[in-house]
Amino acid sequence: MKSGEDCNKSRRGFIKVIGAALIAVPFLQFCSDKIAVLLIRLSGTKHLLGHRLWIKDFPKPTKQIQIPYLIVGGGISGLSAARQFQKRGISDFLILELENHLGGNSSNGQNKYSKYPLGAHYLPLPNFQDKELLYFLEEEKIILGYDSKGFPIFDELQLTFAPDERLFYKNNWQEGVVPKNGNLVSDDLEFEKFFKQMDVFRTSKGEDQKYLFDIPIYLSSKDEKTRTLDKITMKQWFKQHHFTSEPLFNYIDYCCKDDFGLGIEYVSAWAGIHYFAGRKQDSTSEKHDSVLTWPEGNARLASHLKKYTTDKSLKNHLVYEVKIENQKVIAKAFDDATKTSVEIIADKVIMASPQFVNQYLISDRKTFTKDFQYTPWLLATLVVNDLSDNGSFPLSWDNVIYDAKGLGYVYDQHQTLNQVQDKKVITYYYSFSSADLKKTRKELYKKDKEYWKQFVLNDLKIAHPDIEECTEEIEVFLLGHGMISPAPGFIFGEAKKQAKQNIQKKIYFAHSDLSGISIFEEAFHQGINAVNELLDDTTLDS
Amino acid sequence: MGKKFLKFEFLLLFAVFIIATCGLIYELVAGTLASYLLGDSVKQFSFIIGVYLFSMGIGSFFSKFFHKNLLNTFVEIEILVGLIGGMSSVVLFLLFENVGSFQFILYLFVFVTGFLVGLEIPLLMNILKDRVEFKDLVSNVFTFDYIGALLASILFPLVLVPKLGIMGTSLFFGMINVSIAIVLCYLLKRELKKVYFLKAKAIFSFVLLLTVFIFSNDILAYSEGKLYGENIIYTNSTPYQRIVLTHNKSDYRLYLNNNLQFSSADEYRYHEALVHPAMSIAKSVKNVLVFGGGDGLAVREILKYKDVEKVTLVDLDEGMTKLFKTNTVLTGFNQNSLNNPKVTVINTDAYIWSKSCKEQFDVAIIDFPDPSNYSLGKLYSLNFYQTLKTILKPDAVAVIQTTSPYFAPKSFWCINKTVMQVFPQVDAYHAYVPSFGEWGYTIAINGFGTTFNTVNRKAEKLKFYNYQFDRFNYFTNDMISNEIEINRLDNQILVRYFDEEWGRLQ
Repeated sequence: MKSGEDCNKSRRGFIKVIGAALIAVPFLQFCSDKIAVLLIRLSGTKHLLGHRLWIKDFPKPTKQIQIPYLIVGGGISGLSAARQFQKRGISDFLILELENHLGGNSSNGQNKYSKYPLGAHYLPLPNFQDKELLYFLEEEKIILGYDSKGFPIFDELQLTFAPDERLFYKNNWQEGVVPKNGNLVSDDLEFEKFFKQMDVFRTSKGEDQKYLFDIPIYLSSKDEKTRTLDKITMKQWFKQHHFTSEPLFNYIDYCCKDDFGLGIEYVSAWAGIHYFAGRKQDSTSEKHDSVLTWPEGNARLASHLKKYTTDKSLKNHLVYEVKIENQKVIAKAFDDATKTSVEIIADKVIMASPQFVNQYLISDRKTFTKDFQYTPWLLATLVVNDLSDNGSFPLSWDNVIYDAKGLGYVYDQHQTLNQVQDKKVITYYYSFSSADLKKTRKELYKKDKEYWKQFVLNDLKIAHPDIEECTEEIEVFLLGHGMISPAPGFIFGEAKKQAKQNIQKKIYFAHSDLSGISIFEEAFHQGINAVNELLDDTTLDS
Repeated sequence: MGKKFLKFEFLLLFAVFIIATCGLIYELVAGTLASYLLGDSVKQFSFIIGVYLFSMGIGSFFSKFFHKNLLNTFVEIEILVGLIGGMSSVVLFLLFENVGSFQFILYLFVFVTGFLVGLEIPLLMNILKDRVEFKDLVSNVFTFDYIGALLASILFPLVLVPKLGIMGTSLFFGMINVSIAIVLCYLLKRELKKVYFLKAKAIFSFVLLLTVFIFSNDILAYSEGKLYGENIIYTNSTPYQRIVLTHNKSDYRLYLNNNLQFSSADEYRYHEALVHPAMSIAKSVKNVLVFGGGDGLAVREILKYKDVEKVTLVDLDEGMTKLFKTNTVLTGFNQNSLNNPKVTVINTDAYIWSKSCKEQFDVAIIDFPDPSNYSLGKLYSLNFYQTLKTILKPDAVAVIQTTSPYFAPKSFWCINKTVMQVFPQVDAYHAYVPSFGEWGYTIAINGFGTTFNTVNRKAEKLKFYNYQFDRFNYFTNDMISNEIEINRLDNQILVRYFDEEWGRLQ
C-alpha cells in the first residue's frame, strides 16, 4: 500500500507547498541558507582497524602481560563476565577492547543538548523468572524494591515516560505502534487473531515444563514441533496461517527488524514469534509492555557494568591471535594508540567477541562461522530546532512511520523532567534487511555522508514535511555488523552449537550471537554463564 | 434564440445564483462575528440583516444610474463583492481590539456588500432585458437568487463554519465570487470591453484572497488574543505563553493561553482558599515556597503573616513575573508582593530546580497550570511529589491546586491519590470561585506534628476563608470518583483523565 507518498500531503502540508510557491524567492533563499549550516558527521565502529585482521600486518609483541583470566571484547557479554568474576570473588582478570570505550552495541554519543544512543536503546521489563537480571537491576537502583504482591517497583524516572509510542499511519499520528485508526474490519480481525496466537505462544509450555519461548533462549522448551518453526521464515508462517492483512504484515515486519535487523521475509519464524512470546510481561501487576530506557540508551546499563572493570581494561586493543600453548592461552593484541603489540599469557580466556571476529583469531573456525550473518545498521542523530507535524498525537518516546524505510526515531530527551526543550534531539534507526547481507555491507560503506543525510531526511519527511529546514545537525553512525541475524535454521543449527563449544576447557565463548538474537538479556546471561562454566570446570579439574 | 445565447443567459443566471449565495454568506459571517465578539446575538443578527437588506435596496436604487458597459460593470462588481466580502472577516478579526471602530467597520462592510449585491440584480436584468422575455427574466433571476440564499443558509452552520471556520468561509466564498468573474472574463471575452484589464484585476484579487486564506491560521493566531468579549488592555507573548489582560466594568481578567487565570472580582476566593489553610495548619511559616503563581497573588496572601521570613517563588516564565513586578495595574492587584524584600523570584523549571535544591521549606504552595498536556502532567507525577518531599521540613504543609472536583472529579482524585502515596497525612477541600466554578485543592502534611483542623495563626481581614477547615473538606457525591490510578511519569494517566473530562465540556 502506498499510503505514504501519494496521499500523505496533509492539508497543512499542501497549503505550505502553495505558500512556498507564492513567495518562492525569499523562501528558497531561506532554505538554502539553512542547509548550508547543516552539520553532518559520518562515523561508525572501527571497521577499518578490524579489517586488518584479514592480513594481520601487526608488529611483533614487545610487551608481555601475565594474568589468570582474560576477557576479549568489552560489549555487554564481556562486561557481564567481568561482573560475574567479581561476584565470584575473582578480580585478577583483564578485559581487552578494540574501540576506545567499553560498551559495544550499548554505547552512546553526546551533544550540547542531550546524550543519545549509538546502538541498543532500551530494555523491556525483564521476565519475572529472570532473577539474575532483576537482581542486577536492583543493585543498580533501577528496581527500587518489591511491592506487597512481590512485584518489583521500577524507578519511575527510568521507565519510558508516557506517551511512549506513536505511529504515523494514514497521514495521522496515532497512539501505539500497532496500526489501528483506518484499518479495514478484516485487518482488525487478523490483528486480533494474531495477538491471540501470540498470547498462546507466550504462555504455553512444552512437555519438559519449559516455556516454548523464553529469555534467555536456551531456557526455552525442546519441544520439536515448536522448533520446526525455525526452519521457515516468518513470512512463510504468516502465509501458512492464512494471514493476508497488509497492516499486520507491515507491523510484524517492523517488529522483526526492530529486534533482529532482519525483516519478515528473511527472519526465522521461531525468532519472529519469540519477539512477541519471549517476554512474559509478568513483572508488574499493571502495565505489561513497558520498557526501561535512558537518553543514552543501554549505554546506561553498560556504565553500571563498567565499574567492575576499573583498572582492568585495555581499550584500543585489537586482539589478533588466540592460541593454546603449554597449557596456557596466548593472546596477541595490537595497541592502536601506541602502534605496538602486546602478548597476554592467561590461564583461561573468555571470548566475548563476535564469531565473525573470532574466526580470524582462532584457527579452524571458518567452516561454521560462515553461518553467522550480521545485519548492518544505521543510526542518525538529528538536532532539530522544531519538530512540527500535523499535531494528531503528541511527540512520544518511540515514533514510527508506517511504510517508511527505517524504523522511525526515538526522542532522546523524552526522559527529561523539563517543561520545554530549546532544541530537540532525535535518533533515527535503519536496519539493512536483505537476503545478501555481505553485499549490502559492502555497498553501505561506499555511500558518502551527503547520501545518507538525504536518505534519512527523505524518510522522516513523510511525517515531518519541513524537517529539512529545521535540522541543524546530523550525525550518521554506521554499524557494519549491527547484530546477529536469526535467519531460518540458525538458532537451533549446528554452527551455533559448535561455535559455543569451549576449547580444551581453556577458551570459552560468550556473545549474544551465540544465542542467535542480539538483545541485552542474552548478552548479560552469556557473560554470566561463561564465567560460571569456566570456574566450575576449574573446580572439577582440581 | 440560438444555442450560444442560452449559454450566455445561463452563465449570467449562474452568476446570480453565486452572488446570492455569497452575499448571504457574508451577511451570516458578519452576524456571527458580531454576536461572537459583541455578544447579544439576537440584536446583532437582527441589525445586520436589516442593514444588509436596506443597503441592497439602496444598491438597487443606484443601479439605474449605470447605462454604459453594463456587462463590464457587472463583472467588476462581482470582483469587488468577492474582494470586500472575502476580506471582511479578516479585517474585522484584526480590528476587534478597538471596539468603537469595530462596530463602524462592521456595518460599513455589511452596507457595502449589501449595496453591491443590490446593484447586481437590476444590472443583470438590464443586461438580459433585450434578450429574454421580461416574464421569464424576472422569474428566473429571482428563482436563482432565492435558491442561492437557501443553499447558503443551510451550508453555513452545518458545513462551512465547522470545516473552514468563519474567516476561512468568507475568504473561500470571496474566491468563488472572484473565480466566477474570471470565468465570465474568459467565456464572454467577445462581449466584454478591455477584457485584459478586467482579467488582471480578477486574478490579482483571487491571488490576494488565496494568500490570505493560506495564512488565515496565522492571522487567527494573531487575533485570538482579541476574542475575549471584554476590552483588552494588555497583551504579551512570552516564550512560554500568551498573556492577555482584559477589563470590563470593575473586573479585570488575566488569560494565559486563552485560559482564565484569574478575575479580579473573585480571585480573592481562589487565593485565600489556596494559601490560608496551609499557612494556618503549618507549625512554622518562616520559609515558604511557591511554585507557579507568577502573578504574585498567592504571595500577597502569604505576606499577610508577620512571621514569614522568606518566600521563594519559582515560576518558569520570566515574562510573567516581570510583568507583575512592573505593570501598575497588576502590582495593584498583588499589592506589589513580588517586589517585597522577603520575596525571591527564580525563573526556572520547578521540577529541575527541586531536584537540585538544598533548602527545606515549612510551607509549599503549588499553583501550576492544569495538567492539560504531557509536559505539565509531569508536575503532578508521583516522582514529582517524592521530589517535593525531599525539600520539605518534617511537618511542613504542602497545598496543590487540583483543578475542579466538579468538572473533573477523576483528575482531582487522581492527584489526591498520587499525593497520598508520598505524604503521611493528605486531605482535599474545595471552594466556590464564581469565574471558575467549584475549585479544589489537595493538602498534605509531611508528618504527624500538626493536623488539618489545627489553627496555629490567623491573618486579619480575610474576605473568604474563616479558618474552619472542616467546612471545606466535605464533598458531595457528584464530586467523588473512585477507581482511579496513581499518576506516574510512565503512565501520565492524569493527562488522559483531564483530557477526557474537560474535553467533554468543550
